[in-house]
Amino acid sequence: MESLSGLGLSVALALLGIWTMVVRRNLVWKLLGLNVASGGGILFLVALSHRPGVRPPIVGLGPGPAADALPQALVLTAVVIHFATLALALALVILLTEYRHTQDARKLEEGSV
Amino acid sequence: MRPILALGLLSLAALLAAGIAGLWPRENPVDPDPIAQGWGVANAVACVVLGMRLWDTLFEVLVYVVAMVGVRFFLGTLCWRGELRPVAQSPLLRRAADLLLGPILVFALYVAASGHLGPGGGFPAGVIFGSALLLLALAKGMERLSAELYEPRLESLEYVAAVLLLSLGAIVLILEVRTSAAFIAANLLIALEVAIGAWAVLHRFASARGEV
Repeated sequence: MESLSGLGLSVALALLGIWTMVVRRNLVWKLLGLNVASGGGILFLVALSHRPGVRPPIVGLGPGPAADALPQALVLTAVVIHFATLALALALVILLTEYRHTQDARKLEEGSV
Repeated sequence: MRPILALGLLSLAALLAAGIAGLWPRENPVDPDPIAQGWGVANAVACVVLGMRLWDTLFEVLVYVVAMVGVRFFLGTLCWRGELRPVAQSPLLRRAADLLLGPILVFALYVAASGHLGPGGGFPAGVIFGSALLLLALAKGMERLSAELYEPRLESLEYVAAVLLLSLGAIVLILEVRTSAAFIAANLLIALEVAIGAWAVLHRFASARGEV
């Protein structure tokens, strides 16, 4: 049950993030949407691998089946890469704001500034 | 525009739901203990990150380094000419930060060095140390901290750590070494890498705006 609610929440987060990325015109809002969508993706991986009553995947932590270690490793990778790319994107937005004096994606595309 | 977008997103969600519906009922997962013990470690996640999927981790570190170089490059072209606001100095915060820095550093080292035995690893350790640097920056102000932690030297240290990590990965991959010593060294190098990268991002973003 927790797995299903987690899956539903993660899909809702991802859809909300994509919606924000497409509809909002401000670049910082778009990055915020990307952040939320990426959080949804990470939560999706975690919720998909959730099993009730398993022990952590560490040797010697009691009997019973252990949790799947692969999604945890993937999430670790995803979080770090997400941090790095978000920092790079924010640096680019700062540069754009400095030189073009706007964060409006439509104005930037039209080249009117 | 918006109804089409909403419809597209909902159909995407439906496709996703249909795609994962075949996963129930769940089969029992593979027991990770023998695999982890085969690599000489106790933490199966460390075994996946630094053992079976080492290629992933190496290229992830490469992406991290490239992104940090990009942040430095793009924000280094800006020079902010605004008036710098003096940071409000609070003696309490400064003393607390000085007291806390040592234990946080030791904890980060512990998390990095014991990542093959229990919860932890290089990435969380780097983030812990990066947040310690953030605490120092809040307590002391960015200018004093960046005068103490000279960035170009740290930058070259980051590249040295990346090169060492890539060569360690090459040795492990080519010679198929399976010892926990390689895991400890890789975790410490990754922690150094991530901590310096976090510091570079903090420093560059703060100095591009002129304040913390």
